[in-house]
Amino acid sequence: MDPRSDIELVQEVRNGRRQAFSELMRRYQERVYWVARRIVGSHDDADDIVQETFVKAYLALGDFRGDSSFFTWIYRIAVNLSLNALRKRQVLNYLHESELLSRILPSSDDPEKDLENAETESALQRAVKALPEKQKAVFVMRYYDGMSYEEIGRVLKTSVGGLKANYFHALRKVREKMRNEIQDGQGTDH
Amino acid sequence: MKYRTDRAQITDEAEERLAAEIRELSRGAQGPAVPPDAYWQNVIVRVNATIDRATSGRALSISWAARVAIPGVVAIVSFLVGLHYYAPDALHHEPTVSEVLLSLPASSVDSLLVDPSRVDPSLTVEDVGPDVFVFSRDQIAEYFLDNGNPSDAVDGIPEREANTVFAVLASASK
Repeated sequence: MDPRSDIELVQEVRNGRRQAFSELMRRYQERVYWVARRIVGSHDDADDIVQETFVKAYLALGDFRGDSSFFTWIYRIAVNLSLNALRKRQVLNYLHESELLSRILPSSDDPEKDLENAETESALQRAVKALPEKQKAVFVMRYYDGMSYEEIGRVLKTSVGGLKANYFHALRKVREKMRNEIQDGQGTDH
Repeated sequence: MKYRTDRAQITDEAEERLAAEIRELSRGAQGPAVPPDAYWQNVIVRVNATIDRATSGRALSISWAARVAIPGVVAIVSFLVGLHYYAPDALHHEPTVSEVLLSLPASSVDSLLVDPSRVDPSLTVEDVGPDVFVFSRDQIAEYFLDNGNPSDAVDGIPEREANTVFAVLASASK
């Protein structure tokens, strides 16, 4: 484990030592990947977001003033990119649903694979996927990542009170959806 | 109006109870597939390669060239198009000799020596060339012989030139 602090590494990158940035990536790539993966849902999209996050961070390192920790800063970039990816997908889905694009583009190269992916998705993943984007981001950071409201507030630049309400409503929606799925599954078994 | 009736229930305990319930419901469920270890090293290599491309001299020079060249070309083309379509025709109009003469002070016009045979209302300065006001010594002499009072014309010229004029006049009158 490299003993240098994040700030020291950032300073070294600014002084032209790229190796220090690789160390920062090594430290945070998994957390960045998982927050993106849980928000956007797929490995490929999460992979794109991880790359984009670090490239953006490197190019904008001059703007990093150290008001928040490097982790909070980079995490914020990842969450924002993930939410943007979701919005883009929602637009595409809307276009597909309105049959504007479905006439032009197939949903996937392999429809059987799509079906398989949908089946292997857990009830929890499906429930999280159905949440509104803000609730989804808060849920992922709090439920999976165990972040405090203060940390989430720094990432999303939102008040703790609003975050608590968001998380609480997300928990209830997820629970209801999972309960309904389980009941439906039992109903079809009989 | 819609009232939220559940605000009072948002407590740490209620939150923890719900989270625990969700964990219980999802127990045994398979989570998303975890990427293999090699993936993480690969991410660093790919990110570094992307950064190299984004910060290479070539990328910067293209970006710099684009930033400078595009507005520059647009400005030059706009200027040329504007010049072509909006420059007033008068700029292309060559002044006639009469116009040039009339634009001069009256005293200058009086003393000017113009060959009448070459003056035409439609004649332009460009047509007659730069020697429109250059006359031979014979022409000068003829002018003063015809119009008289040559001292008016030589008032403003240096003495050496005035002497030349008088000498020419003296020889012409013989």
